[in-house]
Amino acid sequence: MGALAIKNVTKSFGDTHILKGINIEIDAGQFLILVGPSGCGKSTLMNIIAGLEAPTSGEVHIADRVVNNVAPKDRDIAMVFQSYALYPTMNVRQNIAFGLETRKVPKAEQDEIIARVAKMLQIEHLLGRKPSELSGGQRQRVAMGRALARNPKLFLFDEPLSNLDAKLRVEMRAEIKQLHQRLKTTIVYVTHDQIEAMTLGDRIAVMKDGVIQQFGSPQEIYDAPANLFVAGFIGSPAMNFIPCHIAEQQGVIGVALQGEGEPVFCALPPRLAQAGRVGQAVILGLRPEQFDLAGAGNGVACRIRIIEPTGPDTMLFSQLNGRDIIARVHPRHAPQPGELAWLAPDLGKAVLFDAVTETRLS
Amino acid sequence: MADQSKFWRTVIYGVLFLVAVYYLLPLYVMLTTSVKSMDEIRAGNLLSLPLDITFAAWSKAWSSACTGVDCGGLAPYFWNSVMMVIPAVAISTVLGAVNGYVLSKWQFRGSEVVFAMILFGVFIPFQVLLLPMAQTLGVFGMASSISGLVFVHVVCGLASTTLFFRNYYVGIPDELIKAARLDGAGFWRIFFRIILPMSTPILTVTVIWQFTQIWNDFLFGVVFSSIESRPITVGLNNLANTSTSVKEYNVDMAAALIAALPTIVVYVLAGKYFVRGLTAGAVKG
Ligand SMILES: Nc1ncnc2c1ncn2[C@@H]1O[C@H](COP(=O)(O)OP(=O)(O)O)[C@@H](O)[C@H]1O
Ligand SMILES: [Mg+2]
Repeated sequence: MGALAIKNVTKSFGDTHILKGINIEIDAGQFLILVGPSGCGKSTLMNIIAGLEAPTSGEVHIADRVVNNVAPKDRDIAMVFQSYALYPTMNVRQNIAFGLETRKVPKAEQDEIIARVAKMLQIEHLLGRKPSELSGGQRQRVAMGRALARNPKLFLFDEPLSNLDAKLRVEMRAEIKQLHQRLKTTIVYVTHDQIEAMTLGDRIAVMKDGVIQQFGSPQEIYDAPANLFVAGFIGSPAMNFIPCHIAEQQGVIGVALQGEGEPVFCALPPRLAQAGRVGQAVILGLRPEQFDLAGAGNGVACRIRIIEPTGPDTMLFSQLNGRDIIARVHPRHAPQPGELAWLAPDLGKAVLFDAVTETRLS
Repeated sequence: MADQSKFWRTVIYGVLFLVAVYYLLPLYVMLTTSVKSMDEIRAGNLLSLPLDITFAAWSKAWSSACTGVDCGGLAPYFWNSVMMVIPAVAISTVLGAVNGYVLSKWQFRGSEVVFAMILFGVFIPFQVLLLPMAQTLGVFGMASSISGLVFVHVVCGLASTTLFFRNYYVGIPDELIKAARLDGAGFWRIFFRIILPMSTPILTVTVIWQFTQIWNDFLFGVVFSSIESRPITVGLNNLANTSTSVKEYNVDMAAALIAALPTIVVYVLAGKYFVRGLTAGAVKG
């Protein structure tokens, strides 16, 4: 059953076109992530789903019902805002109760709901406090409690963690995921953080300049990014982009990679070789973990400029075909800065992009 | 080092003290003069403390001093002002709050133009309003009445009160309104339950501002009133200008203090919030 469908939605403010034809469909219980750089129109799309703003054209369906002309309060949704938007003059209990009161929920039932939500989010001891007396993480919980009290068909989260410090963010991320697994409600979650996107989502929509660049599962998006933008945006450190020409040597199709010494011809896997395009300029996309350290004389010789140990892995900064690249290797074998290392690219999972259109070749 | 900072501190406090004295001196003279008898005023000097405190001048100023032909003191004028200032302040403040709420949180096509026009209203010299306003009051049948004065003060105060509230509400995040809308609240429920409870500082500023403006107004009071509806400023003027054989300084001073008392009381009661509201950066005025 379709929980949410966005069909050809556009939005313009005067002459500025913010959303340019958005299409998304998700099923009940799915966790949809809208990810993209700041200003790409994520909040605008959220506001349109919530009914706080009207689309310039297009349709929004919630639970198989067109809601374009349905008021926000009647859409059966709840939203958690980036700034939490807690009512500053009310205490936590009143904050949660406000929506219930407005909807004329009987007092006894209100108390029951508040008790249940407070227990679930462990904010029982905070019910009497004002928002100004809470820490960032506590405010976050209260904001979620206010949304949960409604028990809506659809939850909207607009960058709910971006005001928290790094450690709390990781904790709350896990908690939101757990909450979703427990409640099985449909969630639309906006973030500009690609790690949040990868860890939380069932489905990810990557946005840029008001256009969905790719819509798919996290693994699809990681393994087969639709274009250079998606490839560079998802994954940290970012995918390496190495300009090459497709060549043929003795009937084998491959690309030449050059580090410190002579160019080394590397065969492309059949999946990529099929496309042909011999002689054409392409961009080879290789994730940092798709490099291995090889013995002397194997792979491509590269001069290591910087190393960044992160603990489990060590990042090697070097150059291939004149471009900066990062390779992620096991710390035990990591070379020292200034040394020559032999990097063996694993082209089995590599992707190729058209040098001009920047879309992935398949 | 420490000695030097102590020295400068002393200098600063000394200067502040002198400035304070300079500003308080007129009040001191008024207060002391108002409780002296005429004999003592004639005999002593302006700055001397009263030897024999008497409230006769206050009593006369309140209930029996002559203001022109009738001699009933300031009391009737005072009550006229009270009857005028309370509704005028209340109505202009409430309307300003609603205007500010709409102009900041429920913007509509053209709301910026409306705001610009209201802003313009702040700078209009009130003298140019006198004639059209007199005609308007005539049309409404409110000429020369207290309700007419209330109307004039509400209209002329609206520009400032709208500006105050609008600028304060612009600082309230829009997400709060969005959250409340999703909670099912409408225009008025959001206003009364969310916005108004957050408005204490700006309400205080506006009430003090409006109270002072309206209570101290002389121009409208003298132009748009009749014998029965004259406000206190006009009464004070008449009292001080009524020629008697001797100038009764103590009565004049007491009358001036009576006229000033309500604004002083308002400042003392709410001044703390006034400063807080101003420094919250929410008000230009
Ligand atoms: N009411 C508005 N009027 C004009 N431009 C707006 C309005 N709201 C948002 N925008 C513009 O739309 C773009 C997208 O904004 P937003 O959806 O908030 O981005 P995001 O949430 O992805 O950071 C921004 O460039 C912003 O300036
Ligand atoms: Mg945003």
